[in-house]
Amino acid sequence: MSENNKTALGFCLTSSFWMVVATLAGLLAATKLVAPDLMGSISWLTFGRLRPIHINLVLFGFVTPGLLSAAFYYFPRLLKTDLFSEKLGVITIVLWNIFLVFATVTLGLGQTQGREYAEMIWPVDIMVAVLFIMVFVNLTMTVANRKESLLYVSIWYVCAGIVLTAVTYALGNVIWQPDTGALKGIPDAILLWFYGHNVFGLLLTPLSLGVAYYVIPRSCKTPLYSHTLSLLGFWSLLVVYTHIGTHHLLQVPVPTWLKVISIVDSMGMVIPVMIFLINIWYTAKGKFAEIHGDIGTKFIFVGTIMYFFVSIQGSMMALPQVQRITHFNNWVVGHAHIGVLGFAGMMALGGMYYVVPHITGRPLFSRLLADLQYWLILIGVIGFTVVLTIAGLIQGNGWLNGETVYRILAEIHVYNVIRASLGVMIFFGAVIGLYNILRSIFVRSGGVQ
Amino acid sequence: MTPRIVVIGSLLILAAVVLVVVALPFYTVSDAPSEIYRQRTDEELAGKQIYIANGCVYCHSQSIRTIDWGLGAERIAQSGDYIDDHPILLGSARTGPDLSQEGGEHPDDWHMAHFKNPRTTRPNSIMPPFLFLGEENIKKLTAYVQSLGMIMADKRIARQRKWKELSTAAFEAGPEVNVKWLHSHVPEPWQKIANPYPTTPGALARGHKIYQDFCMGCHGPVGDGMGPAQPDLYPPPLNFTILKDRGISGGILYYQIMNGITGTAMPYFKKELESEKIWEVGDYVAVYFINESDAGQGGGIDAAFEN
Ligand code: HEC
Ligand code: HEC
Ligand code: HEM
Repeated sequence: MSENNKTALGFCLTSSFWMVVATLAGLLAATKLVAPDLMGSISWLTFGRLRPIHINLVLFGFVTPGLLSAAFYYFPRLLKTDLFSEKLGVITIVLWNIFLVFATVTLGLGQTQGREYAEMIWPVDIMVAVLFIMVFVNLTMTVANRKESLLYVSIWYVCAGIVLTAVTYALGNVIWQPDTGALKGIPDAILLWFYGHNVFGLLLTPLSLGVAYYVIPRSCKTPLYSHTLSLLGFWSLLVVYTHIGTHHLLQVPVPTWLKVISIVDSMGMVIPVMIFLINIWYTAKGKFAEIHGDIGTKFIFVGTIMYFFVSIQGSMMALPQVQRITHFNNWVVGHAHIGVLGFAGMMALGGMYYVVPHITGRPLFSRLLADLQYWLILIGVIGFTVVLTIAGLIQGNGWLNGETVYRILAEIHVYNVIRASLGVMIFFGAVIGLYNILRSIFVRSGGVQ
Repeated sequence: MTPRIVVIGSLLILAAVVLVVVALPFYTVSDAPSEIYRQRTDEELAGKQIYIANGCVYCHSQSIRTIDWGLGAERIAQSGDYIDDHPILLGSARTGPDLSQEGGEHPDDWHMAHFKNPRTTRPNSIMPPFLFLGEENIKKLTAYVQSLGMIMADKRIARQRKWKELSTAAFEAGPEVNVKWLHSHVPEPWQKIANPYPTTPGALARGHKIYQDFCMGCHGPVGDGMGPAQPDLYPPPLNFTILKDRGISGGILYYQIMNGITGTAMPYFKKELESEKIWEVGDYVAVYFINESDAGQGGGIDAAFEN
C-alpha cells in the first residue's frame, strides 16, 4: 500500500488553491458586468481576459485536479497495489502548477486563440497534453501492476476519461497548427464544439462518476447496487456523449443531418445519466444518516442531484424550440454553473474531503468550516441557477419579440447584481475550503468539529 | 473488463465518432464563398487579432438567425460567409449585440468614442472601456469591425463616407447653414408635421428618462452638445439651442431621431424606441433645450387619452 499519498495530497492542494484564484477571476468578471468602469481600463482586468482565465482555471485548476486527487487515492486501494510512481506524481503536480501559472499569465496578456475552452496558446496546449499523458502513464501502470484481477467501474471511467481527453484536447486545439490552433470556417466551429462538449463529457463527467462510484458504496457500507448497470452506463456514456457537440450550433449553418443527430442523441443522454443515477441512488437508498455523517459523501451526493438536473435541463436545451429562447443568453450560463460547479465541482470537493482524513488518518481540521463551505457553495450555485435563468428568460423572450440587446440591459441589471453577490459567497466558500484543507494536512489543531 | 478493453474500446468509439461528426462535415461542408464574401485587408486582420486578444467574442456573436430582429438581422448567416475565418468567431453569448453586420452601422468617429468608453455614446452600456488599447490599436479594431458584413458592409461604409463629407462641410459653414442643410434632408411632409400629442408632466418625465438612457452621452445633460463623447466626434453632437427660431418642428425631430443622420455619429433609434418614446423624447428636447415646442398642435381628432 502506498504510504505517503503525496500525489493525491498534491492534487488536493492544487485544486483548493486554484479554486480561490478561479472564483476570484469569476467574481471580478461578474463585478464588471455590474460596474464596467469600476477597475478603470486595465488590459489584464478587462472582462474579455478575465473570462477565459476564470473558465480555464475552473476546469484545469480546480475541478480536474480535485477529481484526480481522489483518483490517485483510490487507484492503489481498488487495485491493491502501490501507485506506479509517487515521484512521477509529484513531478506531474509541480508541472501542473507551472502550467496553470503560465496559462493565467498568457491569457492575462491577451495571448489567446480565441476559441472557447480552447483559448490557451500552443506551448500551453503541449503542456496540457504532456500532463495528461503523465497522469495516464502513472495510472495505467498502476493498473498493470495490480494485485486485484477485477477492475472496478471507477477505474474504467478514469482510464477512459484521461486517454480520451488527451486525444480530444490535441484534436480540438488543432495542435498541428501552432499559430492559430484552429481550422477555417464552419468546420472549425464543429470541431470546437465537439471538443468543448467533450471537456464536460469525457473529462469532468467520467472523473466525477468515478469518485461517486468509489465513495458512495463505501460510506454507505453497502455493495454497489448493480455491476451490470455500471457496465451499461459506462459504454453508453462514451457512445452517446461524444457525438452530440453540435447541439451548441443548432442555429448556425451547419449540415442539418449533424444537427438532427445531436438533437436526437441529446435526448438519448437520459440513458447513461439515469443508469448512473439509478445505480448510485439505489446503492444509497435508506442510508441518509451515513451520507450526512461524512462531509465528503454529502458533497458527492448533492453532486449526483445536480447531475440529474443539469442533464435533464441539457436535454431540453437541445430542443430547437427551447433554444429559440435560451440560446445566447444567461440561461446557458446558469446551466454551465449547475454542471461545472454544482455537479463536477461538488464531486471534486467531496472527493477531497473524503480522501484527506483517510490519508492523514485524522479527522478534518474543521467539520464546521466544511459544512459552512458546503452551504455557501450550494446556496451560491442554486442562487445562480435562479437568477441566471430569470435573466436568460427576460433576454430570450425580449429578443424574440424584437427588443434590442441595449434595452434589455437595464432589465437584467438587478440580476447581475445578485449574481455578483452570490459570487462573493462562492469565493468565500473557496477561501474557507483552502484554509480547512491546509490546516487538515499541515497543522491540525484547535478546529471546531 | 480488462484495461485493454477499456482503453482500446473507448479509443475505437472515439475514432468512429470523430470520423462521422468531425471528419465527414470537414470534407463535405462547402467552402464556396457566399455572395457577400470578400477577403479582409491586412489592417482588418490586425484588428481581428485585437478582437481575439481582448475577448470580444465572449459578449458578441457573429451569427444571425432566422428569428432575430436586432442589429444585422437584415442578413441571415450562411456558411459561405465564414470560409476565411480562422478561427471562426461565432460566439456563444449576446451580452452585447450580434456584430456580423456591424460594418457601416456607425462612422469611425462613433467607434473611437465608443471604444474608449462605451458609456460615452451609450449611457447604459456594460461593455468594458478599451482606452488601454491606445488610438492606433483602436483604429485597427475599428477597421475590422467596419469590415463585418463584408460586401454589404462596404456599401454602408461608402454611404457613411459620402455623408460624412457633406455633413462636415455643413457644420463648418456655421449654425445657420448647418441647420438648413440638416433639415433639407428631412422629407418635406415630415418637416410640416407638428407633434400631435400635448406636452404633459408625465410625458416630459418619460422623455427625460429616455434622454438620459440614449442621448445624454452625446448631446450632454443640458443639450448643448457637450456630452462626454463630444471630443471624439466630428461633426460634434448638435447643440440643440441653435435650433430655436430656425423652423424646427415635431416632425423634424421625430424623423431625425427615428432615422439618424448617416455620416454623423447620430444613430437611428428606429429599432430601440417605439413611436410614443420618440415623440416624448423629441418634445423633451423641444421644451427644455430648444424652448420651442409645437406639441399638441397637430390637428386631427384628439387621441382618446388626451385631456
Ligand atoms: C462584457 C461584454 C462585452 C465585451 C467584452 C465587449 N462588448 Fe461590445 N458591447 C457590449 C454591449 C452590452 C453592447 C451594447 C451597448 C453598447 O453599444 O455599448 C456592446 C456594443 C458594441 C458595439 C456597438 C454595436 C452597435 O452598433 O450598437 C460594438 C461595435 C462593439 N460592442 C464591439 C466590441 C468589440 C470590438 C469588443 C472587443 C474589443 C467588445 N465589443 C467587447 C458588451 C461587450
Ligand atoms: C453618438 C452621439 C449621439 C447620440 C447618442 C445622439 N445624437 Fe443626436 N446628433 C448627434 C450628431 C453628431 C448630430 C448631427 C450634428 C451635425 O450634423 O451637426 C445629431 C443630431 C441630432 C438631431 C438633429 C436636429 C435637427 O434639427 O436636424 C436631433 C433631433 C438629435 N440629434 C436628437 C437626438 C436624440 C433625441 C437622441 C437620443 C435618443 C440623440 N440625438 C442621440 C449625435 C448623437
Ligand atoms: C448530459 C446531458 C447534457 C446535455 C444534453 C447538455 C446540453 C447542452 C446544450 C444543448 C448546451 C448549449 C446551449 C446553448 O448554447 O444554447 C449546453 C451548454 C453547456 N453545458 Fe451542457 N448538457 C448536458 C450536461 C452538462 C454537464 C454534465 C455539464 C458540466 C459538467 C455541462 C456543461 C455545459 C456548459 C459549461 C455549457 C456552456 C457552453 C458554452 O459556453 O456555450 N452540460 N449543454
